[in-house]
Amino acid sequence: MATPPLALKLTGIRKLFNGIAALDNVSLDVAAGSVHGILGENGAGKTTLMNIIAGLLRPDSGSMEAMGTSLPAGGVRASRARGIGMVHQHFKLVDNQSGLDNIVLAVSKSLWSRKPQTVLRDIEHWCRELKWTVDLQRPVGELGVGQQQRVEIIKALCGGGRILILDEPTAALTPVEVDELALAVAGLANAGMTVLFISHKLHEVTRMCQVISILRRGKLVYSGGVADLSVEQIAEKMVGAKVDAPRLVQLQGDTKIHALLELESVDYRISKRTPLILKQIHLRVYPGEILGIAGVDGNGQSELAAVISGAVIATAGRIMRSGTANADAPAGSAYIPEDRQKEALVLPLPIVSNLLLRKYRQRPFVRWGFRRFGQWRGHATNLVRQYDIRCRDVDDAVGTLSGGNQQKVVLARELSDLPELILAVNPTRGLDVGATAFVLRQLLDARARGAGVILIHGDLDELLSVSDRVAVMSGGKLLATPWPHSTPEQIGRMMLGGA
Amino acid sequence: MIRRLFKRIWSAATAVTLAVLVCGAVLTLAIGAAALLGYPPLRVADLWLHGAAGSWYALSSSCADACPLLLTGLAAGVAFRAGVLNIGAQGQFLMGALVAVALSTRMMICHQPVLVIPIALIGGALAGGMWGLIAQYLERYRSVPVVLSTILLNFVALYLAEAALQGPLQAVGTAAAQSPEIAGKYWLPLFVAYTDFHIGIILALGLAVLLWVLQERTVFGFESQVVGLNPGTAKAMRMPVTWRQFQIMFISGGCAGLGGAIQVLGQVHFMTAHMGNYGYAGIAVALLGRLNPLGIILSAGFFGFLDTGAFRVEESSLALPHDMANVIKAVVILVMLVLAGISLWRSRRVGNPGSSAPTETPSA
Repeated sequence: MATPPLALKLTGIRKLFNGIAALDNVSLDVAAGSVHGILGENGAGKTTLMNIIAGLLRPDSGSMEAMGTSLPAGGVRASRARGIGMVHQHFKLVDNQSGLDNIVLAVSKSLWSRKPQTVLRDIEHWCRELKWTVDLQRPVGELGVGQQQRVEIIKALCGGGRILILDEPTAALTPVEVDELALAVAGLANAGMTVLFISHKLHEVTRMCQVISILRRGKLVYSGGVADLSVEQIAEKMVGAKVDAPRLVQLQGDTKIHALLELESVDYRISKRTPLILKQIHLRVYPGEILGIAGVDGNGQSELAAVISGAVIATAGRIMRSGTANADAPAGSAYIPEDRQKEALVLPLPIVSNLLLRKYRQRPFVRWGFRRFGQWRGHATNLVRQYDIRCRDVDDAVGTLSGGNQQKVVLARELSDLPELILAVNPTRGLDVGATAFVLRQLLDARARGAGVILIHGDLDELLSVSDRVAVMSGGKLLATPWPHSTPEQIGRMMLGGA
Repeated sequence: MIRRLFKRIWSAATAVTLAVLVCGAVLTLAIGAAALLGYPPLRVADLWLHGAAGSWYALSSSCADACPLLLTGLAAGVAFRAGVLNIGAQGQFLMGALVAVALSTRMMICHQPVLVIPIALIGGALAGGMWGLIAQYLERYRSVPVVLSTILLNFVALYLAEAALQGPLQAVGTAAAQSPEIAGKYWLPLFVAYTDFHIGIILALGLAVLLWVLQERTVFGFESQVVGLNPGTAKAMRMPVTWRQFQIMFISGGCAGLGGAIQVLGQVHFMTAHMGNYGYAGIAVALLGRLNPLGIILSAGFFGFLDTGAFRVEESSLALPHDMANVIKAVVILVMLVLAGISLWRSRRVGNPGSSAPTETPSA
């Protein structure tokens, strides 16, 4: 049997950061014309490996071959000359320039040899091939994320890319856009391109890729056909242990007696001269449910969270808590903000202090205005054990912890007092599979004991997997959805402003 | 418990090692520079050490010189730790001195030293505190950054002091902008006769310890630290951010004002508008002491030691140029900035999981 020619052949790649191996002896073969998925948790080394292939990082040892000839390490130009194009997770576009200018800028060999006409022909060719329409005249910053991504991909292709690296391409896309991207990726493979598709979302990879490689803590743990493993087996290989995805279990009995929180025709604008950011929001949260609020970033979710948490005052409308009109968040409510480093933690301070930011002036922790360190440490040690916060010592700065453990510190502080009402905004952003499961399970546990949870979340899959009811924020309006009697695609269309 | 104690000793030990290193580096440099200029290096070093700490009297004048630096250092330290960028200690110092001079020369309420001295000290502290509050008010209600308004208020204070010293507070029989001498019975008493050890030094040391307790042991100190490190979190935790900032600014300005009052009552006994750049030097003192009041005691002592020693070498038969002392002080600040940069860099690496760099928070 003839083996297909290899687009990429990596042998024994090793990369150390501060003496810690980010990649440890990784050898990888990528067949030409295939869609090859690279899977792994956050910090597994996916992006490092891709940066090495693209020539942005120099490996400490190992060799690379592209299209059968050796590829010098650490040269962006060399990699590009071999047809390796990378689409970074955070796009490398000049926001105030048009798509065309961005592409011309990237493709031109020097300042004096810009040929927009030939580039335009290339662009049209690829748009036809992929059946895409892209607005090339508007400044890139005004385009949506999906359109920006298309500009990035076309940029890579026009640069002569034959091997395309897509780093977490679906992270910011809606389900509909993901479907379109999947079609385009298939089209690229048909046109003879090799695509390296990086993701930590299993179902996307299993759908789009024929071959996958799994990285765990810098080591390649699996490389082979995607059909040979079940989704559970892939997850297990990524994490190194069995992961049960948190799922909603129907609760017994009807607990909808009175709303814990009620928003009635709430408007919000920053000042009188600015347009409304929140328009006529109606919302009710009952005990024992998770109300999921989906939406594309920037449709008013942050402002809604700020209004509910009491950080800003609504311009109009009424906010009732447990039936009383009290704008202040009472002691029985928890807030897990979107940006934990800016709004929930003080990174240079020890874990103890961060765990006590809510209760430091309550009874056993203070006497005559003095801090009682023994009590603080006792309380913190308990929480560290209870919430499995991995640290060497409770006196270490919170900034020394990983993102997942930082979020556990926030959860421990906010949820340990069994609050009635929980507001969580993108609580799993930047977390790996294990930590994500932990966070979602905590929210489900709170719901099971009768708390009301408002989950404002950009990740639709996670949101749908734990929410009793789902609403969509779009253009500052909150729209009810018939979930669970609707499909994720319908909700995705609502997020984009369609019916 | 033992581990924490060990940690505390360890961090104190590193601070001391740092101070010793700085001392060594600076003196080597100074002596080297003196040698380059043609002064006998060993003799310079000898004069320097003797002038600053060679006798009780020398030691007392080092301490008396460190005293205003300690207070302006505390002013900067307590404010910076809470994120209040008060660099107006100079103006607050002058206002404190001005009010203290007024209360002990012209605006006499009574003539009992037991009453006049405390009234003058408290009046000076209040004046400094109020002067600081102006800046905080401007930031809160008029959106003028504290950094800017405190600098500008320094000049306002300077010219206000000059105007007063040429007007109602001017000494009789002089054209210069200077106050009359304070009567001897209102001078701060000495606790060692025939030296410069006045009780203001003890007062300043006591205040430093008090501020340390306030910062490290109380809820107020904890809140102000959180406000300083991360105002966003402080707000989300419903801490009274604005109120704490006003309180801290008052305490900070009060320290500087008290410094001015102690300087005129205890050391110089009259006032001109140019009493030395204690306010600005206090910023360097606070940073060298890593914003920890106990560290600030050490660094103020170090600055006082340097100043006094340099003065003695200038006065001696060698006649080392006055600029030399300033060069050395500048070198100290540079060395300090490098060290601070290194520790900052080490704490930046904290974000890296797996790094074992100790975190250098001011509270440690």
